[in-house]
Amino acid sequence: MRDALFMGRVTASATHELQNILATIRESSGLMDDLLAMSSEGFAHAERFKKGLTVLAEQVERGMVLTEQLNFCAHAPEKSPAGADINEAVRALVGLSRRDAARRKITLVLAPGRTGLRTSLRAVEVMDAVGAALDAALVALPMGTQLMLSVEEQGGLGVVRLDSPGFEALRATPAWGNLAEVTAALGIGVSAGPGGMGVVLALPRPAA
Amino acid sequence: MNAKDWKILLVDDEREFITTLAERLELRGIPARVAFDGESALEAIAAEEPHVVILDVLMPGIKGLEVLERVKRTNPLVQVLLLTGHGSTRDGIEGMRLGAYDYMMKPLNIDTLIEKMESAIDYAKKAATLAGKTDGQ
Repeated sequence: MRDALFMGRVTASATHELQNILATIRESSGLMDDLLAMSSEGFAHAERFKKGLTVLAEQVERGMVLTEQLNFCAHAPEKSPAGADINEAVRALVGLSRRDAARRKITLVLAPGRTGLRTSLRAVEVMDAVGAALDAALVALPMGTQLMLSVEEQGGLGVVRLDSPGFEALRATPAWGNLAEVTAALGIGVSAGPGGMGVVLALPRPAA
Repeated sequence: MNAKDWKILLVDDEREFITTLAERLELRGIPARVAFDGESALEAIAAEEPHVVILDVLMPGIKGLEVLERVKRTNPLVQVLLLTGHGSTRDGIEGMRLGAYDYMMKPLNIDTLIEKMESAIDYAKKAATLAGKTDGQ
């Protein structure tokens, strides 16, 4: 716990620096764009220049999304009296897991879920449990498929649902043992999704 | 008021970022001064009473929120737009409580920044009228 909080502080500081770097790159490329717009006539490479600036802007956007997710991870071990926002934790995890999923040619989709749902767990614990379910699903799903995750309220509890593959196929994966261990330690209920498809994680409700 | 008559102060210890932002504003006809720390920002505010201060929250020395508090005590009509990162939105919210006009996250969108500056200047003019004070323009 102390380790995670320490690493979180270090990472939060680094992501702040990264945001400053991205902000500087954006302003510098923006200035070049401004100057180009003012005097592109007669500049032989104007189109190539514009293309380069567009790539820079796209990469800054990409970097911004990543730093936002990393910054969320940095603060995820912190305990909040209100509990963790489940949707935010799952959104950060899904964002950071896309690359791993893409290596297996699986597309992760986070359904526009119920916002504001909270749990007594810390965000890092939510991410740990959902990450374990994701590991199992990514092993069991065929390549070229899509995996939908959603955050919902069921019976007053915040739940995270992965809609595929079949529950029994998930239980047969080597990663299931880790999921069972993490969820038992954190008091998370695990059950099959509708029609025996996917898995539902029911998270403990926040303290009143 | 025309944008060329706006008095804008940009404050951030990220020198490349803030000087480039000033240059981009000037290309759009908006004059902007820069300060690289809280101390020199307070001096510039006392000397020039800008309409809007764009103020980074995390700086070495006097922090952005402390600069904001002091400005609101001495020059309450000066409008402050805070710059925060994703990890410091709490500072942005706290800044609003302390009297900041608004806050924005880095990296900035310059068009949004200009819209917010214009809106802050309109607000300051109305506040000055209500306070029975004019800025002579």
